[in-house]
Formats: sequence, structure tokens, C-alpha cells
Amino acid sequence: MLAEKSKPQPITADDGVNAGSRHPRLSLVPAKLESRQWAHHGFPQVQKVLRERFCHQQLPEEPEGVEAQHKHLLELLKRTAIHGESNSLLIVGPRGAGKTMLLKCVLRDLLQDKEVQKNLLQVHLNGLLQTDDRIALKEITRQLHLENAVGDKVFGSFAENLAFLLEALKKGDRSSSRPVLFVLDEFDLFAHHKNQTLLYNLFDVSQSAQTPIAVVGVTCRLDVLELLEKRVKSRFSHRQIHLLSSLTVTQYLRLVGTQLSLPDEFPDAKFAQEWNSSIETLCADKSVEEVLQRHFNASKDFRSMHMLLMLCLSRVSVAKPVIQPADLQEASRLCLADAKANMLHGLSILELCLIIAMKHLNDVYEGEPFNLQMVHNEFKKFLQRKSNSMYNFNQPVVRKAFEHLQQLELIRPVEGSSAKTQSEYQLMRLMLDHSQIMEALQKYPQCPTDVKQWAMSAFG
Amino acid sequence: TPRLATPSIPSRTLPARQPTNVLEEARTRLHVSSVPESLPCREQEFQDIYSFVESKIIDGTGGCMYISGVPGTGKTATVHEVMRCLERATDMDEIPPFRFIEINGMKMTDPHQSYVQILQKLTGQKATADHAAALLEKRFSNPAPRKETTVLLVDELDLLWTRKQNVMYNLFDWPTRRHARLVVLTIANTMDLPERIMINRVASRLGLTRMSFQPYSFKQLQQIIMSRLNKVKAFEEDALQLVSRKVAALSGDARRCLDICRRATEICEHSAADPSAKGLVGMSHVMEALNEMFSSAYITAIKCASVQEQLFLRALIAEFRRLGLEEATFQQVFVQHQALCRVEGLQPVSVSESLAVCQRLGACRLLLLEPSRLGVLQRVRLNISQDDVLFALKAD
Repeated sequence: MLAEKSKPQPITADDGVNAGSRHPRLSLVPAKLESRQWAHHGFPQVQKVLRERFCHQQLPEEPEGVEAQHKHLLELLKRTAIHGESNSLLIVGPRGAGKTMLLKCVLRDLLQDKEVQKNLLQVHLNGLLQTDDRIALKEITRQLHLENAVGDKVFGSFAENLAFLLEALKKGDRSSSRPVLFVLDEFDLFAHHKNQTLLYNLFDVSQSAQTPIAVVGVTCRLDVLELLEKRVKSRFSHRQIHLLSSLTVTQYLRLVGTQLSLPDEFPDAKFAQEWNSSIETLCADKSVEEVLQRHFNASKDFRSMHMLLMLCLSRVSVAKPVIQPADLQEASRLCLADAKANMLHGLSILELCLIIAMKHLNDVYEGEPFNLQMVHNEFKKFLQRKSNSMYNFNQPVVRKAFEHLQQLELIRPVEGSSAKTQSEYQLMRLMLDHSQIMEALQKYPQCPTDVKQWAMSAFG
Repeated sequence: TPRLATPSIPSRTLPARQPTNVLEEARTRLHVSSVPESLPCREQEFQDIYSFVESKIIDGTGGCMYISGVPGTGKTATVHEVMRCLERATDMDEIPPFRFIEINGMKMTDPHQSYVQILQKLTGQKATADHAAALLEKRFSNPAPRKETTVLLVDELDLLWTRKQNVMYNLFDWPTRRHARLVVLTIANTMDLPERIMINRVASRLGLTRMSFQPYSFKQLQQIIMSRLNKVKAFEEDALQLVSRKVAALSGDARRCLDICRRATEICEHSAADPSAKGLVGMSHVMEALNEMFSSAYITAIKCASVQEQLFLRALIAEFRRLGLEEATFQQVFVQHQALCRVEGLQPVSVSESLAVCQRLGACRLLLLEPSRLGVLQRVRLNISQDDVLFALKAD
């Protein structure tokens, strides 16, 4: 294990891993009789391998379920790199569908070719970083190491940079200059740039006899082509790769199994075997299947699956080196918890009463907005019906509670109502669903019975 | 920019591979970038532009011309061909020598940069926009001995619009000067651009020499592909006809036509069991390429969506029916969503879950949403028609 540690560890090795690897060394020495416990050897390694897989989106050996798309993209980029053919293409798919994974896999496979490796230039842009064409152009110049870039600094004005880049691309030709691959991440954001100058120019180069370039855009918007201007759209080749997962439940369950199991090249083979068999029994469990089915129903994307598995994995420790069904259930509970309900549990009784009053107002006046006066009035009606009123708060206290609710964004002012109106008379809307309020009331610690009854009663 | 920097892309170690089989050959020929020697189907337009420019050069006068047409109808290519022919004529001493320069509105960061680019292309000088404008003004208004005619091509004219329109005004005013000897050819997409965006004194200087390029008909598109292929036998006759008819019906954009043909050759190559076998691109390949490029992915996206996402869409449509509107708040849809969950025998969803589902659908633009900080109050709309959604949900 020490030999393993000397290997350059990626930044992934966060405190969890280090803590795990420190711990067994301390406990190993005194308790020699425990050394047979296999968990101590393999355990930190498991954390490391799986965390890398879940948190760092490690590339798989073979992208699953997207063989046709992989082939299409690989062939296209190969033709650009080897034959000098210019192309443009969009990869479209919902978030977490593996668009970047596909592209990275293709690039990894592409660069294994020696000829490609020597020739292909790459430029990576991201719509979130290159927020306008000026910055994008500097970045392109920098990544291409054009002559007006000295070190990492690019000289000249925006106009000069554009002219220089276009001139450089124009000088090249199909057979002699090195092909350039432009990868535009968050492609839809580039379409919001002024006049779409960058896109026009890139697509124009890809459609004219200049330096061979391939423009690959990655986006999650299905309507991305409608964002393009007519002349930009005409220059785009309309090749699109759609990544829409057609996973079924059984495939999803199998995928969870493979994601959690250890690879064959795991150093401690015996441990890996035991771990994998424990995962197998885990996946066969009925309750686990139910939990996973629920997650599958909610979303098919990989990222939420990784999130769930990561939460599971973090409950594994040296003392308990297997994932049990209970862990998965707990992780799923964490994932699916309602955020607003948790906030309601933390409110004071007065604030809760105000929310109930608002709920009644919503019921009676069918979702019309309300102000503090109306809420307070409703609350007072509740107090009057009771003999022993222990909640007889002053107006300022109620207002404070109301303001606190506004700060938590459980209520928000109606749009258009200006700040000119006094805060007592400002119209508000409740940002909670009734089911959330009722559910929170059930779980509220030591909720007074009369408040509960008031909430249940149909009319305040 | 450093003064002596020469713009260039590094050259490759090995020259690019040449096409080895028929399909690859066809693909190279069909690439949009390989502009053929002569443009088929644009003879009339070619002739008009040619005679216009030729007469101006021979007379030593100036003038303007406005060329319009939807993208991909061969406007820029035709003008370039005219220029090539005129240059050939100059070499044969048939007409006096002239200068040809071009600027493109989309390749500039600012309309005033056009002065800088024109000046640099004319004299090689570098100047700021204001200075360049003054220099050009002087150059075009003063007489000079042995001055040759300048032909200026302005592509994407609509991008040169400024609030005062002085860039456009200057471009059209210079040719009217007695000593300018400037011919300005302008290209834009819309036919009524001069009437729409130009003020009167600019539009009047542009004059009435207009030309519009019609979208290609299917016969013309077919002829274009045939002339590009130039006896390379890679396509079946019917397949070509299908592509050109389909494109002509939609837009008449030659670029689209060529791209589809290129994609069809790829599909043909993939589907062939034996790569060395000489296969023609047939109907089925072309059909597949057409589907790939023209079909929208919305319906497949809905079919591939998760169970809750589909339920949410159904809840949305149910709510629309109930309200009789095309818009509902999330809260209203959520009530329907929970009811549907109960009907389907699924565990009821919480608001957070349902909101997450809604956001996911909004991110890929199946739905149009208000900003998410409005929480349950945000209004939800469909981005596609209800019929499409129902079709996609029913089909499985």
C-alpha cells in the first residue's frame, strides 16, 4: 500500500482518502491479530478508485450505448485531421447525458493515431468563460500561438485580433496547413454574442477553401439552431449528434452495479473479489431495487446517479467496509428531501401561525396576494376563538416574524408593487405549496394541538 | 499587433491524404469550399453583373449596385467569378486595369472598421478609423493622374448600419464624385433593405441598379450537384433528385444540398459491408441523411425522457386543458403531477423533486420557464405544440 501511495495522486485525494489511509496504519501496529481483516488493506484504495469515478467524471474504457455516435464523430474528426476536410457539428443532449464524455473519449481515441497527434491543433472555448467575442478571440490566438501572442499575452485591439486571425486562417490551405479543431462548450451562449461574429467567421472558414477546421459545439438546448442567424445557420452543416439516453430499468440497475464494482486491475485482488460480490448481493436486494427504480423514474442522467452513489460510499468506513441497503436508503432520503420542508421545521410557532394564516387566506381568496395587515387580522381571528391566548403578540413582533419569512423567501412581494408602499401594506404571495405546509406541520417538533387543528380546519 | 508579425497557421508534417476511392472523391468535390470553375444556373446574373462592372471600368465612371437574395443562392460566388473573368480580360488587355477589394460586414467588429480595412487594402497603410475616413475622402475626391478604377465588394451590407448611417452614406457617396472611379457592389439578404433601414439620402445614392438572386429550383440544384461531381459516378439518379427536390421545397440553399449529399456518402460508406466494394449512394442513404438533418429531436427527446418527466408533461397538458390557457404556474401543474403519480401507482413526488424535473425540461427547452428563483410561482409554457407532446407520449 505504501508503494501505491508514492504514485502521483491527483487532487482527488481529499481529506476523506487521506484520513482513511492514515487510520489503518495507526491501528495496524498494535492490533496484529486484526491484520487478517481484509478491509484494512483495500479500503483506502476503494475510496480512491470510486471517488475518482464519481466525482472526477473519469473516462470509461468504452462509452456505453453511444457506439454509433462515437463512430460518427471519430470518423469526422479523423477526416479533418488526415484529409484536411472542414466540418462543423453539434452535440446536443440533456444535461448529464455524457456529451463531454463522448467528445473526450473520441479525442482520446483520435490522438492515439501518430499522424493525427502530430498534425491536429486544438482550441477549447467555453461559453461560460469566453463571455464575449473579444475574450474568445484572445483565447483562440493564445491557444493557437499565433505571432501576435507573446507568451500568454495577446497584443492589439479587438479589430486587429480578428483581422489577424482571419488572415492567418485564410493563408492556410487544405493540403499543407495543420487542421484546427475548435471545441465550443456551452455553444448556445456563443449564439448570444453580438452579431454572432465569431460563429459566422468560424463556420465561414469551415465552408471555404482555407485552413481546414472542425467546429464542434456542445450544448443542452434542443432549439439551438433557432438561435442562429440566417446566414450563420446557412453556413452550419446541420450535422447534429443527439445524445438521448434510452436506458431501461434493468440496464440502469446493471449500470449501478458496474459503477460500484472495482476494476480487474485493482491491486488487492482478493479484496476486490469480496467487494464485488458484496455489491452483487446489494444490487439483488429488493429494497435497493426499489430505491434505484425511484431514482431512475426521476432522471436517467449519470450525474444524479453518481451523486447518490457518492453519498452511499461516504458512509462506508473501515469499521463497516461494505455498502448495505440501509446506506442506499439513507443516501436516497438525503437526495430526495424537500428543501422547503426542512426550512419550515426551523420556524418559530409565531412564524408557523402566520404561514397557516396565509394558507387560509389563499384558500378563501383563491390565490390573491395578501399583505401583513390581512395576515395579522386572520391570526387575530384565530386568537379570539381561544380562551387562553398565549400567542398574543404585539404588532412589531408579528411584523418582525413576517419580515423573517420574507428573508427566507417563503413569501415574496408581488412584482410591480414598488418599494414606495409601506411594508405593512405591500402585497405578498406565499411561495409554498399546501401539501408542503401540511407535511411540515405533521413533522414539526412539539407542535401545539390547537395550531394543528386550526391548520386542518377548512376555514380560518 | 507587432509590426512585422505575419499571420499564418503552422504547416503540417505530412501533406494531407488524397481521396482514394469514388466516395471520397465525390465527398471532396461536394464540399462547399471547392467552388467550381464556372457556376451553373447563374449565367444571367453573371452576365448582368459582368456588363455593369465592365461598362463602368471602360467608361472610367463609378456606380453602385445592390444584390440581394437568401443565404446560399450563390451571390458572393457569382461576384467573385465575375471578378476572376474581368481580371483575365485585363490580362488580355481587353479592358483597362482595375483594383478589386472586398470587405465583409460580419468580419468586422464595428462598422467604422470598414474605413480601416478599405484603406489597408488600397494602400497598405494602417490608420485609425477617423483618420482612414479622412484619407479615403481625400483620395476619392481629388483628381490624380493615371488613376485606375477600384471595384469594392461590400458583403453583408446590413451590418454596416449605424445610427447616423455615415458609413453607408460615404460608401455610396464616393462613387458619385467625379474623380473617384469607384464601383461599389453591395450584397445583403433582404430585398427591401434600402427602403427599410436607409434614410432617403443614402437610398437615393444607392440608386436603382438592383438585382435579386432567386432561390434555386430543384432542377438547378440537381444541375449544380451534377456539375460538381463531374462524371464521378457515386450517386444514383433518383437519390440526387430526391435531395434537390427536398431542399428546393424547403429553402433552395445550395449549401444545404451539398451538405446532405456529403452526409449521404458517409452513410453509404458505413453501411457497406465491404469498404472496398463500389457502392452507389442510393435512396435509402439519402433518406437517412435527410432525416438526420431536417427532423427535430423534440419528439425523440420526449420519448427518451424519464418517467417523471413524461408525467410532468402530461400533467402540464391536463392543466392547460383545465384552464383553457397555454400557460400555468408550477403550483397548478404540481397538483396535477401528484394526482397523476397516484393514478400511476408511483410514490408521490415532493415539490423539490417536481421542480427539479421541471427545470430539467426547461434546460433542454422543451418547456419555457420564468427564472427559477420564483419557485412554485413560476409560470410554465410548452415550447412545442401540444399535439407533438401527445404524439410522443402515446407512441410507446
